Parts: sequence; C-alpha cells; structure tokens
Amino acid sequence: MMRFVHVIVVAALVVAAVDVYKIKFESTVRAEQVARLAAEIKREREAIAALRAEWALLDNPARIQALVQRHLALKMMDPTQIEHLDRLPERPPMPPAPSSDGIAAIIDTLEPDFPTGAAAAPASTTAGVMR
Amino acid sequence: MNGRANTATPAAASWRRRIVESLLYGRSVDRARKAQARLGLAVLAFVLVYAIIALRLVLYAVAADTHSVRRGGSTDAVATARPDIIDRNGEILATDIKTPSLFAEPRRIIDPDEATELLAGVLPDLDSREVRDRLGSKRGFAWLKRDITPAQQQEVHHLGIPGIGFLAENKRVYPNGNELSHIIGHVNIDNQGIAGIEKWIDNRGLADLHRAGFGVDREQEPIRLGVDLRVQHALHDELVAARDKFKADAAAGIVFDVRTGEIVSMVSVPDYNPNNPREALEPSRINRLTTGVYEMGSTFKALTIAMALDSGKVTLNSSFDARGSLRYGHFNISDYHAQNRVLTVPEIFTYSSNVGAAKIALAQGVENHKAFLSKVGQLDRLRTELPESAEPIVPKHWGELNTVTIAFGHGLSVAPLQSVMGVAAIVNGGYLIPPTFLKRSQAEARAIAKRVVKPETSTAMRYLMRLNAEKGTATKADVKGFYVGGKTGTAEKVINGRYSKNRLMTDFMAVLPADDPRFLVLIMLDEPKPIPETHGFATSGWNAAPVAAKVISRIAPLLGLEPRFDLPTADHLILASAKEAR
Repeated sequence: MMRFVHVIVVAALVVAAVDVYKIKFESTVRAEQVARLAAEIKREREAIAALRAEWALLDNPARIQALVQRHLALKMMDPTQIEHLDRLPERPPMPPAPSSDGIAAIIDTLEPDFPTGAAAAPASTTAGVMR
Repeated sequence: MNGRANTATPAAASWRRRIVESLLYGRSVDRARKAQARLGLAVLAFVLVYAIIALRLVLYAVAADTHSVRRGGSTDAVATARPDIIDRNGEILATDIKTPSLFAEPRRIIDPDEATELLAGVLPDLDSREVRDRLGSKRGFAWLKRDITPAQQQEVHHLGIPGIGFLAENKRVYPNGNELSHIIGHVNIDNQGIAGIEKWIDNRGLADLHRAGFGVDREQEPIRLGVDLRVQHALHDELVAARDKFKADAAAGIVFDVRTGEIVSMVSVPDYNPNNPREALEPSRINRLTTGVYEMGSTFKALTIAMALDSGKVTLNSSFDARGSLRYGHFNISDYHAQNRVLTVPEIFTYSSNVGAAKIALAQGVENHKAFLSKVGQLDRLRTELPESAEPIVPKHWGELNTVTIAFGHGLSVAPLQSVMGVAAIVNGGYLIPPTFLKRSQAEARAIAKRVVKPETSTAMRYLMRLNAEKGTATKADVKGFYVGGKTGTAEKVINGRYSKNRLMTDFMAVLPADDPRFLVLIMLDEPKPIPETHGFATSGWNAAPVAAKVISRIAPLLGLEPRFDLPTADHLILASAKEAR
C-alpha cells in the first residue's frame, strides 16, 4: 500500500517538475517577447515623432507660401471670393464631352438630333454595331 | 563518550546504554515523542523554504522584469523629454526627436589612431586632432559628437570600432522657426525651458519631475495652446512686410479672442529662431507686447470715453468744447486733426481730438479716472503664462495734468497686451478677461471674467469704433465684408526726456466684427517712416491701419468669420438694435 502511494507521489513530483520547467521556459520566452515588443514600440514611437516633426516642417505655412509664390500664379484670397453654398446660382449645363469613340462620333454626325449625353452614349454605340 | 560506549562488552551493553542515554537525553525523556517533535520541526522548515520559493515565484510573475528596464534606461535620455506643444488645431509647434550622439570609452579603445582615421572618414566635420586627444586619454567616457544623423550612426556602427557607442538624446525642434518664437520660447542644451511657454512648462512641475528622475519618456500629455498656427503665420508675414515697407524699427501684432481671452496670435518682429536660441539675446529682439511698455496714444481715448459713458454723466449726444488748444501749466495740448469747434462725443472719437478727450477725463475727475483705469487692468502688472512681463509705468503723483495726458494715451506706459485686454473688455459687453496663451472655452472665460462696464456702454463703444472705420481716422482699415471697427493711436516717443515730433509709435486697435465682436486685432509699428505712398505722413491711419486691414482680410476667413456685404451703417445696425433691445 505504502509503496503504491510512493510511486504515485514520485510520479506526481516528476510531472510537476516537468510542468514547472515548461511554464518557466514559456514565461522566459514571453518575457523576451514583451521586452522586444516594448523596444519596438518605443522605436516606432520615436520614428513617429520624428516623422511628425518632419511633416510639421514640410507643412509649415511659411514654406508652403514660399513655394506657392515661386511656382504658382495663385493670389491672396479676397473676402469677396467667399460665398455661401446655398447662395450660389445653379450650375450651368455642361457642354457635352467630346467622345473619344470614333464610331460614336460618326453616328452623332449622322443623327444630329440624337442627344449625346453620357447615359445615351452606350445605346448609340450598340445601335451602330447592330447596323 | 560514544566511542567508549560502543567498545564496551555486550553483557554490560543494556545497562551502559541506559546510563549513556540518561546522560545524553536526561532520565525522564520520552524518546518517541522527541523524534516526532523533530520530524515536525523538519516539516516546518521545509514548508517554510517552499513557501519562500513559492512567494518569490509569485513576485517574479507579478513584478515586471526590473533587470531589463534598467538595461534599457542606460542607453538613452541624457537630455530630458518634454511634452509636445500643439496649436489650437493640433498642429505641432514644438516636439522632441531622438537624435543619436556619439561617445567613446577611451580606456577600451585599442588603437586610437586607427579609430580617429576611420571616424574622420564617416564624419568629415569632426576635428581629428581633438578626437585623437580624447580617444588617447585614459578617461572612461568622452563625447565625440552630439546630435548626429541616423545615416551617420549606421556608418559609424558598420566601422565596428570597439569602445565606441551611441546614446539617444532628446532634442527639441521647432518646425515653424521664427514665427512663434516669442510665444513658445526655447530650451537650453539639456532640454530645460528657459523662456516663454517652455519655461512655464518647467515651472509647473516638469523640472521637479526630472530632478526626481522621471519624465524621460515621451508619454506626456501635449500642451495645447490657444494659438492658431495659420493666423500666426499670416500675422507674421504681414508684419514682416510692413516693417520692411515702412522701414520701422519693429512691428508687433496681437489677435485676441474677446470672448475667451485666448491669444490667437502674437507676433513681435524682429524675432529669433528658437532652434538657434543665441539670437534671442539681442536686445532688439525682445517681445514688445509683453516685456515692453509703451504710451499707447489715442487708442486710450477708447478707455476714456468708455469711462465717461459708463458713468452715466455723458451720453453719445453730449458735446465738449474743443476750440483752440488746451493750455495746462506750460503744456499746450492741441489736436492733430483740429476742428476748432464744439464736438460731440462721436466726433471727438472719430477726429481723435486730444482736447476733447482731455476735457471728458477732467469732467470725470482724477480719482474716477484712476479708479477706472485700475478697474480695466491698466495700472497693475499683467501676468500671463509667459514668465516675461513688464510693470506699467504709472505716474507717482497723479494730478490733473496726468489725467489730461493719459486721457489721450500719453504719460502712462502699459504693455500692449494689457491695453488689448482693456479694450476687449469695453467691446465684448463689459467683461474683463485675463488673457491666456492656452486654450480656453467660453464657459471657463465667463467663470473668471469680471464685469467692468455696462453692456450699454459696450454697445456705444462698438458703435464709435465702427463709426471711426466708416468716416473717421480708421477708414483705411475697413475691410469690406467684415464690419471692422477700430481706433488709431499715434504716440510721440520720448527721446532724451522730450516728446519727439518725428519719432512715432503708431498702433491700431481693430474690433471685428463690430456688431458682435469676436476678435480684437492690435497692430503696432515702432518708428515707421513716411513713404511716398503715405504722402509723407507717418501717423497710425496711414500705416498701422492699412496693415491691420491686410491682416484682417487674411485671417478673418481662417478664424471662421463669414464676410457679409449687405450690412447697414453703424447708426442703423448697432445703435438701432441696441434701442430695440432696451
């Protein structure tokens, strides 16, 4: 009876030791991982800070203004150029975009009364193919 | 004794054994119980040992790996980390970046000559003789070069010289250069704030934090200012141009939110680049708006008239005799735009009559005048977040003559920011709000605001300011669409104890929009020169006012003000609506 108990206890001891070792090993691996990630986060954060500083440098209004004055013909905005959206007049009807489709263009010249809106264009091309 | 017992004959063994036992353990001892107690003791000892081990394990699991933290801390942060400073929209005004610095441990260098040669190849701007000396010394640590680029760091790393290493240091950068120098201030080589908001950050506890060894990481809440970077740029740009155009010694400007007391923008040129703080030491580059005090000239008439209107003894229809000049002792006070007739209060304001303003102030009495100016904060030192501030120069014995001159802005020198605060109080409905560089909400401002004039007085003052832009001295500041009101001011500078006729300090105080003020804009020019375009004039209406107009047309859209073009004149819009309300 006692021997049986002893065997069980010894077996339990071995299992416990192995388990503890495994846990210890895993925890070491995890701790290393955490340290690595923490270092990486720190590095990334510093990189972000550096990039944000550089962005602010490039985004600086004085620099943009200098570039605009050198390269573009833009002028200072006048208060009269600001208007409410609902006070704007209706958008004038757009002239039809010149079609790049050669066949459609020919059809358009054949049927001058045919409206050449964007929506109607596919219909006219299929008609052209059918003929 | 035991040895002797064991060598005895077996016959005498049991008898002897009893003697030995009685000698060893005493006669009345039960050995079985003793053995049990010993076993118990052993069990207890083992339990204790295992308990300690278990406890240690738990502690290891709970507490962070202290070892690795210490290892990480050793390679960086010689200079302390500071919180970022951002503007009201979150744009970065000042930030820290980590820059590697190169150091050597000379004791561990094997061949100093070879190391010097290799380093000189990568870092050509290094003084090789000095480096050779440092590497050849027997010290444990020597800086070789602080603040190198990451590319250089890589190259030096690839050289693989033993005894050479890098430390990451925090370095403060100001991406906007000169534009915010006077607000933000700057730091020294160890990243400690020594001027402006930077110093304020240190004063409120960051320095203590650092001394205690904390605050080396970047995890600090950024400081949000009330300043708008875009407005700051526009103001800076226009002031630099104006200083050039009028060949002025200096130019300065403030944009002030009259509802919250936030300083949306503050520029004083010449300024300096905080990335190169040595420039800040030149005395001409001081911040004229907080550390300088000036006689503000006619803009003070706004305060004089507000005082008179608020007392109830004077209304907009009252009139004062402004004929000729006012003699006081051996002083002779005359008008620049002399009308030589009886003027009403609005006329005194729009013609900027010194005689009229003086008479208004005299009618109020010296004590009332003094009390009113004190109430609107013109007589005490104004303190903001900036560590630099200047005490106003108040006459020691305030007599009638002082009241006469102070009525039109001479004889009392105040910091320009202070006068902005005072004028803001008389146009915003009567609330004196201490200015701040930090972001502040309207509710917070209300909580600390102090009522100094009645709302009706404020309405009347807004009317006068607007009237002045419609047909007074400030017509050149009237930006169409923003309903600007304003008051010009020209003060003669004191040179060698006398007022000089041709060395002027001009300023312009604009309120926009005048019917429902949101912002106050102050433009100040120090000794502007007359130019052909101004027909030989150098007074405020010819230089400060048009500069203000340019600034306003640029910043108003940025500040969210909508241009309105179909507004009636001041008589209808401000006065009539005030009557309706009553």
